[in-house]
Amino acid sequence: MITVNTLAKRFKLNKEHKKQKQRTDVREHDGHFHSVKDVSFQCGYGEVLGLLGPNGAGKTTTLRMLSTALTPDKGEIAIDGIDIIKYPLKGRKAIGFLSGTTGLYGRLTARENIEYFGKLHGLKGNVLKQKCEALFTMLDMTSFLDKRAEHLSTGMKQKTNIARAVVHNPKVVILDEPTTGLDIMTTQTVIAFIRTLKKQGTSVIFSTHHLDEVALLCDKLAVIDNGVSCFDGTVDEFKLRGESNELNQAFLNLLDERRHV
Amino acid sequence: MFEVFKKEILELLRDRKTLFFIIALPMLVFPIIIALVAFLTSQAGLKAEQQVHTYYIVNDEYAEAFSEQVFYHKSFKKYQGDLKLDSVHALSKAVKLGQIDVGIFIDSDPRESIKIGQQSEWKVVFNDAKAINFTFNRINELANTSSHAVRSNALLELGVEPERQQAVLKPIVISKVDTADKRENYGEKLGAFIPYLLLPLVLMGASYPAIDLGAGEKERGTLETLLLTPVTRSELVLGKFFTVLASSIACTLITVASLAIWVSIATRFISIDVITTAFSSVTSWDFLLIFALLLPVAAMLSSLVLAISIYARTFKEAQNYMAPLSMGIFVPIVISLLPNMELDTTTALIPITNVALAIKEIVKGTVDYGFIGLIFIASAALAALLLICCVRWFNKETVLFR
Repeated sequence: MITVNTLAKRFKLNKEHKKQKQRTDVREHDGHFHSVKDVSFQCGYGEVLGLLGPNGAGKTTTLRMLSTALTPDKGEIAIDGIDIIKYPLKGRKAIGFLSGTTGLYGRLTARENIEYFGKLHGLKGNVLKQKCEALFTMLDMTSFLDKRAEHLSTGMKQKTNIARAVVHNPKVVILDEPTTGLDIMTTQTVIAFIRTLKKQGTSVIFSTHHLDEVALLCDKLAVIDNGVSCFDGTVDEFKLRGESNELNQAFLNLLDERRHV
Repeated sequence: MFEVFKKEILELLRDRKTLFFIIALPMLVFPIIIALVAFLTSQAGLKAEQQVHTYYIVNDEYAEAFSEQVFYHKSFKKYQGDLKLDSVHALSKAVKLGQIDVGIFIDSDPRESIKIGQQSEWKVVFNDAKAINFTFNRINELANTSSHAVRSNALLELGVEPERQQAVLKPIVISKVDTADKRENYGEKLGAFIPYLLLPLVLMGASYPAIDLGAGEKERGTLETLLLTPVTRSELVLGKFFTVLASSIACTLITVASLAIWVSIATRFISIDVITTAFSSVTSWDFLLIFALLLPVAAMLSSLVLAISIYARTFKEAQNYMAPLSMGIFVPIVISLLPNMELDTTTALIPITNVALAIKEIVKGTVDYGFIGLIFIASAALAALLLICCVRWFNKETVLFR
């Protein structure tokens, strides 16, 4: 169970940026770029939450705050009632994070990459071994386990990355566009994997631009636009608010409605 | 922390490029350079030694004995051409044109001029620009023999017997009794250059892996994942720091070992007395002490390059910072080479200079252990300070996600 409440984060603008007279983004003022202004949502046990929003809406910044890599300026994040802004170490244990920019160690094999992160999370000996074996079968990785990560294909890398993110049995798994750039088979593996996590009672938050995946997987939806949450609810509620049974159309209607207010 | 260290070392060992710079380069390249220089120098020396010079003496009738000696010397050959030379100017023109190699101008007969209290002036005309040149020394030696004979005769005519002549010529003999023993003397010169060789190696061994461990991780996106593990930032920094330190020390050890091996091989063929005498009195305890002193420097430089690497946004940016640093390390070493620089309470606190000075003292055999302790404390404090910077930067969003 993860609860996110009125989250905000701003970044200082550099000098060159400040000199530009034209303000291209409404979120730029008083020398800062307010990437995330007010974001709230929650995701319960065994729920899959889809995080939607246009490019640059603040999705990645929000997810990075959830992962404790960035500290929010305002707001709260709690996992099972524990404030992870105050106790980031506890948060890191409870969260598995994957984003488009998280990489692997090229000179280590896929297995070594996963085991290394398992060890950093305090797993040891047989427990680690069993957990790794289970993940390898589930993600269908056995054929390339002992290849160096630098020689792996995009799909193999993504599988390794996913296994790396969940090796420590996190309560909440955060996936930032996990299927971008993957072929159909690998995408299917990733979707099946998210279903397994859901069955195990893990909260999954994932951002995506593929609304068909949302239709397949998500129980709930949260939409961020220009750094502000503009929707948080079930998929049916989303269709209702967007006045369309098609998710794509509903999404567009929702954003349109906001811009015209 | 140990897991981080273990993994970094494993990754380092799999990186051929870094391994090449840390191990292969010092192991092979330095001996090759040394051997090449030695070979070329000895070749040039041999050539100069064996060269036969064509000579021309103006007014050789003033010094028959000398002319005869030059004539029979194996390194000189009398000019056989038709040229008639009669002045220094003519001689130098002939040398420039390559007609002769050396010309000697004798202005008067020394046996005659000594009677009227005058010196006979001889001029040796030759091209002295070459680094290795035996011409002048050989002629000087032969001329001295003639000079000695003339002087001896003149003194005899004045009534000074041969056995008293030495004392008359040089009634007072001054000689140096140096309280500095041989080791101290050679150590001053040789010991000053050891830091020149060692300290840049310490830096090189540290900077290659450091760039990869900080900026490299940032660039490849692995740093973000690493930061999301429940390992504290201090542990991460320490794990990385020890990897850099290990590589730096390994690089130095390998280089020194290879250098020692190659020098010992080289000295079997050519004996270099200066080095042998200087090092014969340096005990293995002293060597140990030198390595011990490199430890704080290595720690300091390791934390410095790691801090730079964590601060840098990309691999390239980190490399840009390293370039001036590898130049900059020579500045404190040069300071230690300034005349009369001594290890005292002030210099013991200047990083790198202090260790360079201490190494010199160790080779000289005049080391003060109190200062060594001070150096340890000063270097360790600086290393700790830089490590704190690393940890701080590892906590700063603006540095991590620049």
